[in-house]
Amino acid sequence: MSKTEEQNFVELLEQNQNIVHKVCRLYTNNYDAHNDLFQEITIQLWKAFPKFRGDSKFSTWMYRVGLNTAITLYRKSKRTINTQQFDTVQFKISAEEYDSTEEEQLKLLYNAVHQLNDIEKALIFLYLEDKNYREISETMGITEVNARVKMNRVKTKLRTILNP
Amino acid sequence: MDELELLKKDWVKSGDTFEQKSASQLYPMLQKKSSSIVKMLFYISIAELVFLLFCNFTPFLVSDDYHEKFNNTFGNGTFNKILLTLSYAVVLVFIYFLYKSYKTISVVDNTKILMQNILKTRRIIKYYVLYNLLLIVIIAPYYTYLSVKTKSTDFDISAMSTFELSKFLGIVTLLTLLVMAIVYGFYSLIYGILLKRLNRNYNELKKIEV
Repeated sequence: MSKTEEQNFVELLEQNQNIVHKVCRLYTNNYDAHNDLFQEITIQLWKAFPKFRGDSKFSTWMYRVGLNTAITLYRKSKRTINTQQFDTVQFKISAEEYDSTEEEQLKLLYNAVHQLNDIEKALIFLYLEDKNYREISETMGITEVNARVKMNRVKTKLRTILNP
Repeated sequence: MDELELLKKDWVKSGDTFEQKSASQLYPMLQKKSSSIVKMLFYISIAELVFLLFCNFTPFLVSDDYHEKFNNTFGNGTFNKILLTLSYAVVLVFIYFLYKSYKTISVVDNTKILMQNILKTRRIIKYYVLYNLLLIVIIAPYYTYLSVKTKSTDFDISAMSTFELSKFLGIVTLLTLLVMAIVYGFYSLIYGILLKRLNRNYNELKKIEV
C-alpha cells in the first residue's frame, strides 16, 4: 500500500482508537494483554484496509474487525502473569469524578462483565456502544430477533451475577 | 439508577480515559507480524504438506538406486503408476482447495461467517491428513507383504498357510492402525488446543440461532 494510504489509515486509527481500546478492555484483564490485542487488531485493520470502501463509517467498520479479532482470530497472550490490575494502569480517574460508592458498584459491574463468555461480551459491548439490533445482527451474523432475545438473557445474567 | 444504565454511562465516559497512542506509536505496529489463529493454521497446513511430500520424495533424492530397488520390490506396473499419479493429483487438488478456502477468510465478514470459513479451512486440512493416514493404513500391509516376499530372509512367506498369512497381515494392519491412531491423536490435540476457543464461540453463536 502507498505512503498516502498508510498515512490516511494511521490518521483514521488515531482518531478512532478508543473503539479498539474498548474492545481490549472487555477481552483482556491486564496491561500487556491489552497492548497485545490492540496490536493484533491494528494489524488486522491494516490488512483489511484495502477492502474498506468508505460506504460505511470507518468507526462502524472498526467495530466488526475489532470484535472479530478479539473473538475469533486472537490467540490469548501468554503474558498473563502480570498481576498489575488493568483498571489502575490504563485509566486516569480524576479526583472530582471519584465517588467511592459508585466506583465500587462499577467495579462489581465490570467484574460481572468479565465473567461473561466471549459472545455475550460482544453483545454487551455493542449494547454499551448504543448499536441498534440491526447493526448487532449484521455484525454477529445472527437474526435481529435472536439478537434481541440473547441480549435480554445477557442482561438478566449480568443482573443475576450482581444480585445472586 | 439501573445498574446497566450506570455501566453504560461510565462506558461512554471511559472513552476519554484511555492512554492515547500517537501516530509514531501506531506506524511501527503496521509492520508487525500477525499472530492470529489463521496464520497458525496456515503455517501448520504448509508444514503438513511439506512433511508429507518430504516423506514421499526423500528416499528418491538421497539414494540413486532407491527407485530401482523400489521398482524391483513393488513392481513398476500400472497399479503403481496410477497410485503415484493419483497422489500427485490429490496434492494439487488439496493445494487448490486450501488456497481457495484461505482466500474466503476475511476479517470484515460477520462473526459467524468468519468462524465458518476458518472451520471449513481446518476441515480441508483434516481431510487431507485423513486421506494420507488412510492411504498408509491400506497400503502399508500390502507393501510389507510384497517387501517380505521379495527379500530372501528366514521369513518364508510362500511356506505360510492361509491362516498364518492372514495372521501376519492382521498384525501388520493392527500395528499400522495403532501408529496412525497415535499420529492422528497428536494431530487432533494440536488443532484442539489451537481452535478450542473458536469452536466454543462458534457453538455459542449457533446456540443463539436454535
